[in-house]
Amino acid sequence: MDAVERENSDRQKSWAKEQKVGEGTYAVVYRGREVSTGRRVAIKKIKVGQFKDGLDMSAIREVKYLRELKHQNVIELLDVFSSKTNLNLVLEFLDSDLEMIIKDRSLVFLPADIKSWMAMTFRGLEFCHRNFVLHRGFKMTCQVITPVLRWYRPPELLFGSRFYSSAVDIWSVGCIFAELMLRTPYLAGESDMDQLKTIFRALGTPTEQEWPGHTKLPDYVPVGQFPKTPLRDLFTAASADTLNLLSKCLLYEPRKRLSASEVCGCCSYGSPLYIIPISSPFRYPSHPSKLPKCSTQMAPRPLEEVDGNVDMAGTGPGVKAAAPSKVKLKRKLTSPADESRTRSIARKLDFTKQVNSP
Amino acid sequence: MPSVDNNASPPSTKKPLYEASTQFKNWRYSPDHLAHIRSTLNEAAVGVIRKTFEAYEPGSSSNVSFVTADEEHLLVTFYIHKIGQLCGHFRFPEEVEATAASYLKRFYLKNTVMDWHPKNVMLTALFLATKTTNNPISLDAYTSHIPNTIASDVLDLEFLVAQSLRFEFAVWHAHRALWGIWLDIQNLPNTPPDFAKTESAIYDSALTHVRAARLTDAEFIYTPSQIALACISLVAPDLANQWLESKENTPIPESRVDIPPRPSSTAISASLEAIRNMITNSGKVPHVEAVREVDKRLKLCKNPEKVVGTKAYLARKAEAEKKAEEKRNKKVEGQKANDRDPFGQELGEPAAKPGLVDYDDESDDE
Repeated sequence: MDAVERENSDRQKSWAKEQKVGEGTYAVVYRGREVSTGRRVAIKKIKVGQFKDGLDMSAIREVKYLRELKHQNVIELLDVFSSKTNLNLVLEFLDSDLEMIIKDRSLVFLPADIKSWMAMTFRGLEFCHRNFVLHRGFKMTCQVITPVLRWYRPPELLFGSRFYSSAVDIWSVGCIFAELMLRTPYLAGESDMDQLKTIFRALGTPTEQEWPGHTKLPDYVPVGQFPKTPLRDLFTAASADTLNLLSKCLLYEPRKRLSASEVCGCCSYGSPLYIIPISSPFRYPSHPSKLPKCSTQMAPRPLEEVDGNVDMAGTGPGVKAAAPSKVKLKRKLTSPADESRTRSIARKLDFTKQVNSP
Repeated sequence: MPSVDNNASPPSTKKPLYEASTQFKNWRYSPDHLAHIRSTLNEAAVGVIRKTFEAYEPGSSSNVSFVTADEEHLLVTFYIHKIGQLCGHFRFPEEVEATAASYLKRFYLKNTVMDWHPKNVMLTALFLATKTTNNPISLDAYTSHIPNTIASDVLDLEFLVAQSLRFEFAVWHAHRALWGIWLDIQNLPNTPPDFAKTESAIYDSALTHVRAARLTDAEFIYTPSQIALACISLVAPDLANQWLESKENTPIPESRVDIPPRPSSTAISASLEAIRNMITNSGKVPHVEAVREVDKRLKLCKNPEKVVGTKAYLARKAEAEKKAEEKRNKKVEGQKANDRDPFGQELGEPAAKPGLVDYDDESDDE
């Protein structure tokens, strides 16, 4: 056996697959362990043999970017190896996601919890954007079927803009922010057209002044005139700071939208503009270990399918990345005893799911 | 609403992006280290192949003149040049060409030409590079433009190439750094406004040097920006100095603890000098006659186990099949044991341990 093949097979042997936790046409996800330490991992087996052009673009993107990105709020790719005609990605184990937490009605979210989740999301995103990687496909989980993605899609993509920026991710994060407060999807359209209508109904139809040039976008169509309603009417319990941040994530003009570095204050110059709003008595965000968590057990779920909507030839302005995915927020287990009954909460941007957008 | 981020990550996490890259971490060497890797690899390969020759025909290896590490390197360099020609034919962007060249070079820090001929590996490396740089073309279109090549020639080696690259596909290139420095230069206080237009020949010649640097080991030893600056200094030394001075004169704000201390200007000059020498001395396409000579000998010393149809190849294949068969039988046995009683084991009988999932589980491969 060649040295390279031997190295690959050694890698393979250092990870043990245990239980299948999800399956799609494109990949199978297993729960597993690192043999030497017993550490829990997720192993995503991508079936490559079926592609006539060899390793497919989404697998390559996923591996390429995750190999380079290491950040506490971005899911970690621990190892990669091949087996037969399959590509195996060994990922940090995240066993719950925001959608499950939102749906668990027994959980109460404090403003400080939301602040903590949002801070994690923005930090992970700031790191990705700083590395010229656009997330481009936020979702609450990996398991929801494709249309869900539409709910987090910004208006410039719905109007067919071919040159877009990191601002697309900020819009998505704004939608998730709103969803965490409402405990139900904020802008849930039933089709692309309905999505625009839903957005305009909630935030008012944009004027030329608010969003210069939007009527010139390739897929622009007038979808009706809707008046602006103050966010306050819907988000009755939110603080003024919170609504200020939310409104700046959901600005129509992409260039005016906040950037992740402005939110995190991680930008190199000056102090942060917007830390996730602080209003007493919740001056500080919840510590990850104190965040709400689900109590249900994980059951195998079908993986999302490729929606065939990927634009292979498309290039962004200097940014070609498009790692697929979702927001997952997690916390560390407080004790091993928790492990059997409760699940940790992801605090990572998870790029591993097959989502193709816009 | 200025406030203090009480959860702020420490500044240490903000090291320069390049230093967080797999290229910085896993693909940098000293010249000595490179030479050592290549000679060790070559010796090991010769040892294995000699043994294989002897196993099938004792005494047959004594007359074989194996290729040396330097000759292997010469052959690989020639095929890096070939990548450039192919990319010109396909009109692939610079990034594809540069990436494919890096892949080929990295591949031969882990493999020998006696196992895998660069002529084949080049095709796979280039096809993979079109995908990893987001410039994909269909395999049909790719192979139909390359004479005597079929899809399997490209795909059969794809995993091997990806494994050899450690699945690290992102490469930082000197031509990108050159573009960055070129933009910087246009912003220098003394630069006339139409500089980019009137002096575009400087950029073009510097790019020619960057391409020549691709034929050398520069990218394994120096950073992309060092290589780019050396290339500018070959064309316009004063300009390179001006740029360097402008960087040296820009104060680092105290708050920027993430910026590492600057190397001394003597250290920089020494690196630039070394890169310039490298480009001038080794940034050349090897002579075709020399390549032909090595290739001729390679035909006689390549690993027979990798040559389709030879006794050694067939024996190796039979061995692999035997192993797979044994594995399958084992699995069937295991299942039989589990299937003994559809209603489960008798009480008191030790329950079968839930086995680990087999990576090669056929049922998953459909």
